[in-house]
Amino acid sequence: MLRILFVVLYVIIAPLLGGLMAGIDRKITARLQGRVGPSIFQAFYDVLKLFEKETMVVRRSQNFYIVFSLILVIFTTGLFAWGANILLVIFALTLSSIFFVLGGFKASSPYSFIGSQRELIQIASYEPAVLLSAIGMYMVAHSFNIMTIFTCDKPLYIPLAGIVLAYLFILPIKLRKSPFDLSTSHHAHQELVKGITTEFSGKALAMIEITHWYETTIALGIVFLFFSSNILIGLLAAAAAYFLMIIIDNSFARVKWQKAFASSWLIALIFGVGNIILLSFLAN
Amino acid sequence: MLKKSPWVVHYDASSCNGCDIEVLACLMPTFDVERLGIINVGNPKHADIFLVTGSVNEANKEIIQNIYNQMPDPKVVVAVGVCACTGGIFAECYNVSGGVDKILPVDVYVPGCAARPEAIIEGVAKGMGILEEKRKKLRNMTKGLEELTITQAEISDAAEILYVQHLAFQSEAEIYNDFSLSPLRQTMDEIKEDFNNRTFFKAVMNYTIVGIARSRMEGDICHIGRLAVNPVYQNLGIGKKLLQAVENHFDTAESFQVYTSHQSKRNIYLFEHQGYTWFKKERVSERRERIHFEKKHIKD
Repeated sequence: MLRILFVVLYVIIAPLLGGLMAGIDRKITARLQGRVGPSIFQAFYDVLKLFEKETMVVRRSQNFYIVFSLILVIFTTGLFAWGANILLVIFALTLSSIFFVLGGFKASSPYSFIGSQRELIQIASYEPAVLLSAIGMYMVAHSFNIMTIFTCDKPLYIPLAGIVLAYLFILPIKLRKSPFDLSTSHHAHQELVKGITTEFSGKALAMIEITHWYETTIALGIVFLFFSSNILIGLLAAAAAYFLMIIIDNSFARVKWQKAFASSWLIALIFGVGNIILLSFLAN
Repeated sequence: MLKKSPWVVHYDASSCNGCDIEVLACLMPTFDVERLGIINVGNPKHADIFLVTGSVNEANKEIIQNIYNQMPDPKVVVAVGVCACTGGIFAECYNVSGGVDKILPVDVYVPGCAARPEAIIEGVAKGMGILEEKRKKLRNMTKGLEELTITQAEISDAAEILYVQHLAFQSEAEIYNDFSLSPLRQTMDEIKEDFNNRTFFKAVMNYTIVGIARSRMEGDICHIGRLAVNPVYQNLGIGKKLLQAVENHFDTAESFQVYTSHQSKRNIYLFEHQGYTWFKKERVSERRERIHFEKKHIKD
């Protein structure tokens, strides 16, 4: 009963936390650029405004996929809070991203079309490191169950240092940060107008934003899991990872998709797979 | 909330670029409009405020209109600089039509050559207030449709009519999986040609065409066709009002005829509730059957 209550509470609080982090991100970014920056609640103002706007469509069915993407990401967050199988969490999250891509394809403007294709490449880029994280956690905690991983008293980040590095490398992709914000960007005027979200407006765009808040909390939740032997250190590590992403976002220019793909696979291969091979030798 | 997060799209019409640079200067650390929640977006579909600098000329007329049409309601137009307000020193040029208000409803005028960033920010701040008013209006409108006006369309409305037609017939095409429907394929020139022998009607809301219909008299029979409502404004009774407006306009007609396809339940529902009865069914393609409806005109 208490566990169900926790899941419900988590599903409600996660987007609020995600939105607040987006606001803090904009504030810090502004400070880094020598500006005052908006209120830290700006992300909420934006989304509430979008709900008041007219929803324009190219094809009416395009918003259907966005609703599904949101539902799936809420489902994923619920699974994460419940402490279910981490593989299921990863797959459900991927499915949510795929629905988002389908929405982008359905809108069928050249910009959203290329944006969707790039989003697919981004998914392909981060997926190896995410899956290796799950495998690494299994090798140390002997379970894919998030609850077991969470209660594991060994600090995961020491034997999994390489995997943590590979995961941090792909984190900007999931958070839509430079240098990997290829499909759509938080910042104005990219070469694809707004990439995958170009054709979405009003409520649909608001839902995309909320989906992104959920994704942020899940992505940082996995960082937390690496450090969860001590809850305080875990929370600090997740916050530090987010701060690191903001710094990276502000100091790097966007790279081409070839480089994003090749570098994230290379890092996953060297540090991720290398780490796992090392672990299996040590286990014998 | 509109007041707290106005997103701006800016377009440089035929200006000397001075005002445009001042618009961008507002984003810089000195003025930092993002502290007011203002974001400069490159996409009209995400924008709330349309900043135009420079005068309107014959070449960019359609572009400005196109950007405006792509912005979701509620929206505000701010004319920045004297050229955008009146045409400025270019007003008498052979290719210049004048200020932005020649083609769009302008809400805020920001004079100056070039307009100072402080003035632009104040203009946008004024625009935020108007945005809020418009939202309230829009909400009332979708409730009661108070401001819907139905009038005869002119040839200058052709672009907007075509836009609504393409949007509205998309769902029809999806039902039958047939994207070769003639309303979807029609071009700008063809629709302009149709103006010669047909009467077009438009339902206008907030300066935007939301519904269209066309009709043609053949003897005593009035043929009504391509009754279409922008998907966003459907289910508000606009189609019904359009149909009634056409019927009122042709009060000399003996009967009205209209057709739709067999699976278009909403159209069939509308026609049946407006007193139409079907009299002919014909097969037009493998998947599609066309149903013709007729209504005798009862004159008082």
